[in-house]
Amino acid sequence: MTTTLNTTPNNNETKIDTEERIKIRDIEMIDVIVMVGSALSAFALSYFFFQILLPVSGALGFFVCWYVFFNIISTVAVWELRGAIKAKDHLARMFIWTGGLAAVIPLILVVAYVIGKGYHSLRPQFFTQDQKFVGALSDSTEGGGSHAIVGTLQQVGIASLISVPLGITTAVYLNEVKGRLTRPLRMIIDAMSAVPSIVAGLFIYAAWILALGNQQTGFAGALALAVLFLPTVTRTSEVVLRLVPGGLREASLALGGTEWRTTSRVVLPTAKSGLVTAVILGVARVIGETAPLILTVGGAFVMNANPLSGKQDALPYFVFRLIRFPQEAQVQRAWTGALVLVIIVLVLFVIARAIGGRGPDNISRLKKRRLKRKGLA
Amino acid sequence: MTSIDTATTTTNKTSSDIGLLDPGHKAAGLTANNVACWFGAKKVLEGVNLDMAPGQVTALIGPSGCGKSTFLRTLNRMHELVPSATLAGEILIDGVDIYRGAIPVTDVRRRIGMVFQKPNPFPAMTVAENVLAGLKLSGLKTTRSERDALIESCLTKAGLWNEVKNRLGDPGRALSGGQQQRLCIARSLAVSPQVLLMDEPCSALDPTSTRRIEQTISEISETVTVVIVTHNMQQAQRVSHRCAFFLAAENEPGRIIEEGPTKDIFSNPRDERTNDYVNGRFG
Repeated sequence: MTTTLNTTPNNNETKIDTEERIKIRDIEMIDVIVMVGSALSAFALSYFFFQILLPVSGALGFFVCWYVFFNIISTVAVWELRGAIKAKDHLARMFIWTGGLAAVIPLILVVAYVIGKGYHSLRPQFFTQDQKFVGALSDSTEGGGSHAIVGTLQQVGIASLISVPLGITTAVYLNEVKGRLTRPLRMIIDAMSAVPSIVAGLFIYAAWILALGNQQTGFAGALALAVLFLPTVTRTSEVVLRLVPGGLREASLALGGTEWRTTSRVVLPTAKSGLVTAVILGVARVIGETAPLILTVGGAFVMNANPLSGKQDALPYFVFRLIRFPQEAQVQRAWTGALVLVIIVLVLFVIARAIGGRGPDNISRLKKRRLKRKGLA
Repeated sequence: MTSIDTATTTTNKTSSDIGLLDPGHKAAGLTANNVACWFGAKKVLEGVNLDMAPGQVTALIGPSGCGKSTFLRTLNRMHELVPSATLAGEILIDGVDIYRGAIPVTDVRRRIGMVFQKPNPFPAMTVAENVLAGLKLSGLKTTRSERDALIESCLTKAGLWNEVKNRLGDPGRALSGGQQQRLCIARSLAVSPQVLLMDEPCSALDPTSTRRIEQTISEISETVTVVIVTHNMQQAQRVSHRCAFFLAAENEPGRIIEEGPTKDIFSNPRDERTNDYVNGRFG
């Protein structure tokens, strides 16, 4: 209706608002000057301390020194300029910024380091070849880690197939059904999430491989991962389900819904994006685990796509083994494996977010199409 | 309605079983006999006797904390959802006790619908899905033409159709507060309740939306018995046929002080306290 207005021939006469809009700015020129001035004088002061006064040196020490001086000087400057309250505000802001940076910088460094170390030898065949024809003196770009990638994906996939339904069902029990077992169950799950990962591996090794006489297989590894996966996904799902407003459950029951339908049609769909996050956290918890796999999957240099029989490899285990080799090429391969692991995690996160990541108020494109078929949209 | 072709051949419960869209479906009367309620050891309601006649609007009025909402929630068995809550007495729908096993609890709640104080459309559903949610939740199968007709008729009854007919695919919470509340009314009406309980449905709404909902109440009251809790005396006078005044003395359970035709309660109350309350001298 109104779109026709834009296509009229005289649309170059578009109305221009003449009122000048108020620009709301937090930062004024004087603030910028104070900050830049403080930074410069802090730099000069620490230069004086480091290069002239004290017999110390080192980039890190200099940087820390500079940062501390910068905070002191800028706080004093703000105090002089705007009074004590503003100065405290400024100091608090500096603390928060420092905390935020301190949390993010290591993360960036780790990823950057892995990328820097690993990208040299990353070739497309890393995803398609295994280590079958790789000798001790082969170049680091020869062969690949496809066997480890397949192993990791299968093990984590099987572990999710076991743990996600179990975990979400348990969370539903803890939060929706609320039986007499709720408290002890919650305690057990808390205890389970504190289990060291090597113990999970030992448990499967003792119970599944030694006692029941099974081989070391990808499936055994998946079982060990599932032990670690389950508590994470359960506790996170429980928290997520608790966030679903009680009014929605009441509304559903008041419409004549049974408890099961209330849970499956109202509570779980409303919590969907949070549940996806729970699964992501669980995957992130286990995909990089090495310890539980050492005893269970056995490790391999060649492709074994059958998780039920024969030893399998996994990316973290691949990295763990190769990084200790004396040959530079093997170490290089390990770094490439680490980089690929990071990439896989990233890809999984993006996929999971795309599937169910948005909040419940968003109707996804997929659902819109389904509704259209049913004539509801 | 007439196009129930394939659905009736299945063994599933179809919409015709519960009089869905059935113009002949009737409002039911509710009777409370000597109802008392507790939360844990605390008695909050005592000796409540009230007749809510079919097709009439009954307003429950009284100051905060006198047990009106608790009483309302006993009428469709929502009271028992609070773990420590218990009750005594009997509630009859068309003469049948709703608590002593004659009717399954899900059927009780479908026949006696409820609209809450805060609008609570299901966030993961579209406007259209919200209207149909009750059918989905109680496992009723419908054909597509039935669904379309139901969406339109329920939204029309709730006075919302013209505003949302082009937005049926939007999320339920994309609507404004007043529209959301009317969507909730439409959602309740979709399962063809015989009684509709409303717990201060307009307390979060602006005057225009309030007016629309009051209009809706008087329109649906021919086919649905309405019981409404309200703090708004003018609203009680505008919409209700009968009125019950609840009051709780300090540290005592709430009771019905006076009950009768709305006109009498407001212009000619028998009890002094009723007179004080409706004229705004306390509460």
